[in-house]
Amino acid sequence: MASIDTTVLDTVGEVLNEPVGNLRTRPVLAAYEWDSVASLEVLAQLESRLRVTLDLRTYHGARTLQDLVDLVAAAVAAKATADQR
Amino acid sequence: MSEFDELLAALRSAVDGRRAPAPAVRHALRHAEDPAVLRRAGRILAALGPADHELRPVRVAVLATCTIGPFEHLLRASLVAAGALPTLALGDYGGFELALAGGAFAGDGDGDGQPDLVACLLDERYFLPRDWDAVDVVALAAHLDARLADLRELVVANLRRSSATIVLHTVPVPAELRETVISWRARAEVGRAWHRLNAGLLGLADEGSRVAVVDLAGELADAPFRARDERLHRFADLPYTDGALLLLARQVARVAQARLGLSRKVLALDLDNTLWGGVVGEVGVPGVQLGGLYPGNCYLDLQRTALRLRQQGVVLVLASKNDAALVDDALTSHPEVLLRPDTFSVRAVNWSAKADNLRHAADRLNLGSQAFVFVDDSPFERGHVASELPDVAVVAADGDPAYLVRSLLEGGWFDVPELTDTDLSRPQLYRSRALRTDFSADFASSDAYLHALRTRVLARPVTPFEVARVAQLAARTNQFNLTGIRFEDGATAAMSTDPNHLVASFAVADRFGDEGIVGAAWIECRGRVWWVLNLVLSCRAFGRGVEFAMAEWIVRRAREAGASAVAGRYLPTARNAVAATFWQRAGFTPSGEDGVFTVVPGDAPTCLPAWITYGDEVMAGHD
Repeated sequence: MASIDTTVLDTVGEVLNEPVGNLRTRPVLAAYEWDSVASLEVLAQLESRLRVTLDLRTYHGARTLQDLVDLVAAAVAAKATADQR
Repeated sequence: MSEFDELLAALRSAVDGRRAPAPAVRHALRHAEDPAVLRRAGRILAALGPADHELRPVRVAVLATCTIGPFEHLLRASLVAAGALPTLALGDYGGFELALAGGAFAGDGDGDGQPDLVACLLDERYFLPRDWDAVDVVALAAHLDARLADLRELVVANLRRSSATIVLHTVPVPAELRETVISWRARAEVGRAWHRLNAGLLGLADEGSRVAVVDLAGELADAPFRARDERLHRFADLPYTDGALLLLARQVARVAQARLGLSRKVLALDLDNTLWGGVVGEVGVPGVQLGGLYPGNCYLDLQRTALRLRQQGVVLVLASKNDAALVDDALTSHPEVLLRPDTFSVRAVNWSAKADNLRHAADRLNLGSQAFVFVDDSPFERGHVASELPDVAVVAADGDPAYLVRSLLEGGWFDVPELTDTDLSRPQLYRSRALRTDFSADFASSDAYLHALRTRVLARPVTPFEVARVAQLAARTNQFNLTGIRFEDGATAAMSTDPNHLVASFAVADRFGDEGIVGAAWIECRGRVWWVLNLVLSCRAFGRGVEFAMAEWIVRRAREAGASAVAGRYLPTARNAVAATFWQRAGFTPSGEDGVFTVVPGDAPTCLPAWITYGDEVMAGHD
């Protein structure tokens, strides 16, 4: 299974139509057409692929790709913990 | 690579190659359930060009009382899956009423900007007042009525100014609205007002044949997902979840399909384990499951549904590998059968490949294969038809029969804008054109398909664990049963350990899966001549050459044992006509004794079909 890092980069790259290499070298989301349509598309794809629900407030606070990876990783971990209970 | 990744890769390849996605790809797109995949598919398909397309062009204006969002991608994917090449023009946010009333929409420079279809995405905010009094439900209901009247005016105005078909939908009652009212009586009033609104929306179809109304609220009641995502509703004015939007997109695509003449006219049905449970050739006419309790009621419901489709103009074709006389008897004499012989415009009951039978049926009916929907429980038959006739819509009838009716109907294959007199008379018209048709008996399936199946046969002397299964096969197999002799458990077990006998089991696996033991042979190998006392093969494995692999294995084994001849017998029974020429087709020659055929092992050319290999021992039937 792909890592969270890879899943986030692939998803953002696909939605923004940007090669993943570019995203790695320029990780600030505002450098791309990161508008509400693109960000919601990425949200939907990530929630579907990783079976998590993200908090919109935290999500919209993400400035870089690493911020996105971190918040998604936190959601995945929280879900895993909840599933174990 | 997952099946979804494969699907998306196939779509990218089609778009890059400037060609329409192949029918099999469109079929997969049609059956994909994950909206996230469909969103991605829709984005890829946005670049699908107009050149060299077998898809039917359609211009669709999408107008919404909320954010259109992913509906665009889901609609595009659904339209392509239905066989259309869509050009979408999206209405401006907040511009719903103006655009609908004006009848002119943003074009893409293609044509006059007039769409063929106007897909409207409605939400509750369009109908509700900005604020409302929770103790005055009457005023709320009056407001809903007034907004419905406003919408009717807009629709009528559009119909005057445009030639497009308008697609509207009902709106699910918002839980927030219902739950805000705390008295049960008032809550019932609210529900009634909302249902009246939806009834009024459905009533807009009366404004003319160019208005279609999808019952989204009804569809959602049957769906396993939420209709709303509150986060996206509050944040982005996206009132519906992707699942709900996909449901709507597929309904809009069905309207487009019907408008574009892409709907199907013919329903070709298998018999055994589709129109009734069991194999009539094995269990006899009284033994099939039909009517009564589960699972017989499932098959009866499928027959009833097929009959209702026929009442509405769908032409029925029977496509069954069976003995025609036996099927005639079943269709005529079984008290529960609803689809009597004369309900079928063409009956193709024989042992030919079903793809050939459907081709002949299409010729007889003077229709193309793209008019056909084919329903069968066998993955082999469905795969063969899909391979030979990719335009045929193939519906799976295997698995739990409880889903038979839903599987048939959920594609909306036969939708028409409105029934005409021609529709209503079509089945009889085609029946008199084709009447009863018996196609030439021929066991062939196409070589290419059979090679692609990668069929593996595992043949070996029966083990103690297989004796019961082999004896059961002997007991149940009536059609490909060469002598009709049924060796029971005891006799089979005794022969399996006797040095003068050989009992062999034959298991089959192919790319559709492992079928386990499907054939068996009982052989007396005393002396120089090996006698095949009986050979049986389940009807599931007919038409793939498995029987010849069985013969080849027996002859090879006899040669290795030093036998000078192998002899087999065919004794006709009431049901084994299908096997009458088997020995000769396997390279044996008549011995002079009635029904006995022989071959000299060293002289016999191999009759092993080129597409079959002998498999290893991992198949389930031989574990």
